[in-house]
Amino acid sequence: MVRWCGESTEPNKPIPIYFGPKTTGAHPRFLSRRLPSPATLPQHLTTENKDAAAILRSLPPLAKKYVLQLLYIDGPVTAKLLDEWVLPDGVSKHKVAIDRLIQLRVLSETLDRKKEATYRLNPTFQLNLQKHILHGGILPREPMPLNVTVRLPSLEDLDAYAVQQWECFLLHLINSAEAEKSTNISSSMMKVFQRCLLNQRDDREPPKLTESGFQFLLMDTSAQLWYIIREYISNSEDHGVDTADLIAFLLELSFHVTGEAYNVNTLTDVQRHIIKDLADLGLVKLQQGRKESWFIPTKLATNLSISLADSSSRKQGFVVVETNFRMYAYSTSKLHCEILRLFSRIEYQLPNLIVGAITKESLYKAFESGITSEQIISFLQQNAHPRVAERIPSVPENVTDQIRLWESDLNRVEMDPAHLYDEFPSRDVFESACDFAREYGGLLWENSKKMRIVVKAEIYAQMKEFLRRQKE
Amino acid sequence: MTPAASKLYTDDVSLLMVLIDTNPFFWNSIKSTLSFSKFISNVLAFLNSILLLNQLNQVVLIATGYNSCDYIFDSSASQNQNQRAESLLQKLEEFVEKDESLCREDSVDAPGFSLLSGSLSMALCYIQKVFRSGPLHPRPRILCLHGSPDGPGQYVAIMNAIFSAQRSMVPVDSCILGAQHSAFLQQASYITGGVYLKPQLLDGLFQYLSTVFATDLHSRSFLQLPKPVGVDFRASCFCHKNTIDMGYICSVCLSIFCKHQKKCSTCGSVFGQSQAQDSSTPDRKRKTSVDK
Repeated sequence: MVRWCGESTEPNKPIPIYFGPKTTGAHPRFLSRRLPSPATLPQHLTTENKDAAAILRSLPPLAKKYVLQLLYIDGPVTAKLLDEWVLPDGVSKHKVAIDRLIQLRVLSETLDRKKEATYRLNPTFQLNLQKHILHGGILPREPMPLNVTVRLPSLEDLDAYAVQQWECFLLHLINSAEAEKSTNISSSMMKVFQRCLLNQRDDREPPKLTESGFQFLLMDTSAQLWYIIREYISNSEDHGVDTADLIAFLLELSFHVTGEAYNVNTLTDVQRHIIKDLADLGLVKLQQGRKESWFIPTKLATNLSISLADSSSRKQGFVVVETNFRMYAYSTSKLHCEILRLFSRIEYQLPNLIVGAITKESLYKAFESGITSEQIISFLQQNAHPRVAERIPSVPENVTDQIRLWESDLNRVEMDPAHLYDEFPSRDVFESACDFAREYGGLLWENSKKMRIVVKAEIYAQMKEFLRRQKE
Repeated sequence: MTPAASKLYTDDVSLLMVLIDTNPFFWNSIKSTLSFSKFISNVLAFLNSILLLNQLNQVVLIATGYNSCDYIFDSSASQNQNQRAESLLQKLEEFVEKDESLCREDSVDAPGFSLLSGSLSMALCYIQKVFRSGPLHPRPRILCLHGSPDGPGQYVAIMNAIFSAQRSMVPVDSCILGAQHSAFLQQASYITGGVYLKPQLLDGLFQYLSTVFATDLHSRSFLQLPKPVGVDFRASCFCHKNTIDMGYICSVCLSIFCKHQKKCSTCGSVFGQSQAQDSSTPDRKRKTSVDK
């Protein structure tokens, strides 16, 4: 599991994505994975004012604080001085923050004459941030005047649109496993999913959800969003799109104002292409006027620069789990129903309520598709209905315990192919056979009274040879 | 001292209530060291940097005037980023004019006190509103940028505000711009677990603000922050609003008086006559006083 980029020793190596449901403290951000190519990064930092701001926002809290503190210090600062800022409790966090800053090349480390490390901020980065702080955030582009854009959706409508679009995409993911074709998602986006979420052996067979695909469905929206964006970036890289441009554009997008209309003509061709893909996901809404067309960023897009640990972007929960393993989900969404179906038995569905039960069979089905008990439990906890969310624990303990027990049940019996040997001619032969098997690490069980042993099938050939020699 | 946060909100998202002192008598007295316009530009840069740190951060600016106080800026209400500073400055100017017009009626003797109790209460009201808005909200804190001397007349109101901040676990940070320490704010920061700081050099105000007061509550458990050197616990008496070292306390409602009273003006209890004649009565309590 990767927490911060700072833990990886090689800056150029792509960092594996952390897949668990617990995102607190973990920031699987694309910045951490994409940026650190030593030659390109400083240049990248210089390009735009808002990039500096986006990089700052992606940092861990302590690192942000340090940047702010160093912002108006021009000379180098010794490591010793930095160490004095923290309490003994915070030393590890301090190290992570500093490492992260160095790795993103926001801080540069040099050794002075006395072999003491000194740090200073990247001058361009520093200048850009200073500008930002003095002049406030500068918008990447001016919103269109209201008389051109005919009717803009209200913020609520826009949120609803974003949620609907996102759910539509997730449903598509589930449904494609059921060979149901809906075509409102473009093929370029589908390719992104096929990279790892879907698995298609050949064209005749419908694509199937992979293990990571199942786990993906249980993540919260911001984690899902980041996952898709990362895949999208890697996918574009394979198709020869300049990822620096793409990243810069995505960062830029997160600094637009939700609900304002922006003219599509201000975008480059590549960006227009990206916008279309993002509209499929519900990050932006495209609208067509009489002459002009424009895009409206939704909450999903502007939330791109929030760190994942912020739970404030999370929606209200809807699931109530009772101690008798019954589950009531107050939701009208088909997606929720499908997700719950992954690990529970849906019994009936009312217009605003889904009633199901968590059973051993339904859980076994989930475990088989690669979902873990922890993911199910954290899904239930994160989506707990406000009525039960205040209770501790929000999901009854006996249910969570039982889900864990059922999972460990599956792992309790270990199967080893083996052979049973008995009717040894003498005790000597039996004992030497025992020793022989033990030497090879293949002895599973012995009963010296009845002179029987069970030996792993792996060493069958050696065993046979050994026994043949004993007979002679 | 402060109760540990019982509820975990979000990691480092903060709601910062900034109370700025706009008392003209105070700013006139220190115009040689720090002019008001320079102060405002420092504060603006500070607000920008708080908003920059996390896009969910929220900043509310309240002006503490001589006669009144008012909300000047609320980052959650203003949509247009580009004119943030302009609208703030305009609102501030309007406020100062209004405050001045209220002032003309009575003749004022220098030095004036600013209405800290009012702006503290306004900040706490705003925070309560945020608390009730839903289960997820940023972690609030109050920052007082204060310079005017303490108005002993506001003692009770301020202490009430402090205790209510303590109850809702809102730290009150104080940055003293004037020459004198403020006993009220020392107590406020001490009781609520905030940071009290009197910067040595006002030229570097932004550096003080960004180093000390920009620290979110999440990071405060890891960082070295200024510790209180000493707290002036002196109280004001309820009868003449004087700051006193020693006084009389009503044994029923704990009201403080500088002179012996026959009857408590707050709760109406009648004090025994026989005990009152003796100056070394047990009725007379010593207040703790700590030297600065």
